[in-house]
Amino acid sequence: MSTVAMITARGLFGRRRALMLLPLPLLLIGLAAICRAYDLEPTQWGAAVIVGLGFAVVLPVVALIVGTGVLGSEVDDGTLVHILTKPLPRRDIILAKFLVAVVATAVTTTIPLFVAGLLAGSARLGAALAVAALVGSLAYTALFLLLSLLTRRPVLLGLVYILIWEGLLGRWVSGTRVLSIEQYVIAIADKIEPTTLLDAKLGVATAAVMSAIFVVVCTVVAINRLGSFSLAGETS
Amino acid sequence: MSETGVIHDIGYQRYTGPRLGRGAAINALYVQGLRAAFGLGRSAKAKIFPWLVAAITLLVAVIIAAVKSQIPDFDFGYVDFDDTLSWLIIFFVAILSPALVSRDIRSGTLPLYFSRPLRAADYVIAKFLAMVTAVWLLLGVPQFIMFLGAAFTTKKGMSGVWNEVQDLVPGWTYSLLWALLFTSIGLLVASLTGKQAFAAGGIVAVFLMTTPVVGVLSVLPSSAANHMAGLASPMTLISGVGAWALGSDIGLDLGRYGPIYGIEAFCLIAACLLLLLARYRKVAAL
Repeated sequence: MSTVAMITARGLFGRRRALMLLPLPLLLIGLAAICRAYDLEPTQWGAAVIVGLGFAVVLPVVALIVGTGVLGSEVDDGTLVHILTKPLPRRDIILAKFLVAVVATAVTTTIPLFVAGLLAGSARLGAALAVAALVGSLAYTALFLLLSLLTRRPVLLGLVYILIWEGLLGRWVSGTRVLSIEQYVIAIADKIEPTTLLDAKLGVATAAVMSAIFVVVCTVVAINRLGSFSLAGETS
Repeated sequence: MSETGVIHDIGYQRYTGPRLGRGAAINALYVQGLRAAFGLGRSAKAKIFPWLVAAITLLVAVIIAAVKSQIPDFDFGYVDFDDTLSWLIIFFVAILSPALVSRDIRSGTLPLYFSRPLRAADYVIAKFLAMVTAVWLLLGVPQFIMFLGAAFTTKKGMSGVWNEVQDLVPGWTYSLLWALLFTSIGLLVASLTGKQAFAAGGIVAVFLMTTPVVGVLSVLPSSAANHMAGLASPMTLISGVGAWALGSDIGLDLGRYGPIYGIEAFCLIAACLLLLLARYRKVAAL
């Protein structure tokens, strides 16, 4: 299991690939620092930077790239066969890859969000944002890992979820918010440190339970799916 | 033992037919790119996403045309249509550019292309034009449907139709601007990686992460920064050019910096194309 995790981590960060994850967090910290340097009121920029950039873009996009990358790239390259033929339970393969993806996503997102929260308010706000981002990393990564097993185009399907489900529908159609991870993250952060910057539209109990359901259901389905995984030939 | 020095004629022949040259190669690549953009000639799975986006835009256009014919005061122009659907355009670009460019890198067809009389510039131009056409069709056809709806229900006769034409042409120009800018950025990002997944994620990240920058710049305590805030993001950049050149009304105050928006849009497209050319000067066989 540790070998699978190591191979996955190397596939994710090897050569210069880790650098691809850097610009988004750096932009988040940079914007927060600029606003802070100009002594702007956090009410003016907090929502745009923390929610508009942090929770709506950085968290889902990083989770999408990492979550679909850990398994999807092995499916694409065909190297998954080598892991599947080893005498390892499929459960361990999924769990190892999920763990690596969560750690990578969490490290890339919690640190900049903590810094942004620190600059926008207090260390408590930063910690609240970081905890919420951690929950978000778990849920998003589980979902995108599952997507990479269900379809040959996980990234496009993930983009549909981020752009259309959460971005377009989540803003106007209130019913879709129950299935929107972004709203869970906002609700959890708002509960830990109530602030005017965040506008929670869901109860924290709903958010916590639904995040847990996302993680468990997606992981179980992914394990089940990998159990009967067949490698299709190259499709166009 | 047979006689030595016999060379057998196994039937190789020279090609004596017409040789079509660069023009035909560019044309073939353009047509193939345009067809691939909408999944024509590819599997059913490849058609799902482009046609999903196309169906949504067409549906929106039909709804708008219907509402407009019932409520004449409903103010929703051809330019507003592009701005409203900007997220869908991002998604469409994120589908198309990896399909056009990254696939060639991944499947190793690039060295084959360049063993023809095709040059790097030809390849870039063919792909660029194909994608500009595809994105423009995505926006222009629904706009034309809106035009038809308005033209057939107008109550002022031919002058009403002529008024609509005068609205439609700037709308089409505006769509062309969207297509040019988004295509150049999308192709540049996609040409850097052979993995379609990374390319699509990267394109969306580039477009989405610039939007909050505009929000921050527009609250900075400097009027110049506020007026030029729109320069930071491709979407607001195009809106700014539209406001300056076409006089459309957007929620952004340009001040006297309108021409800068035009200059930046032009420079951005030119720079992306030059970088694309530089990218294809050398093609490694992966």
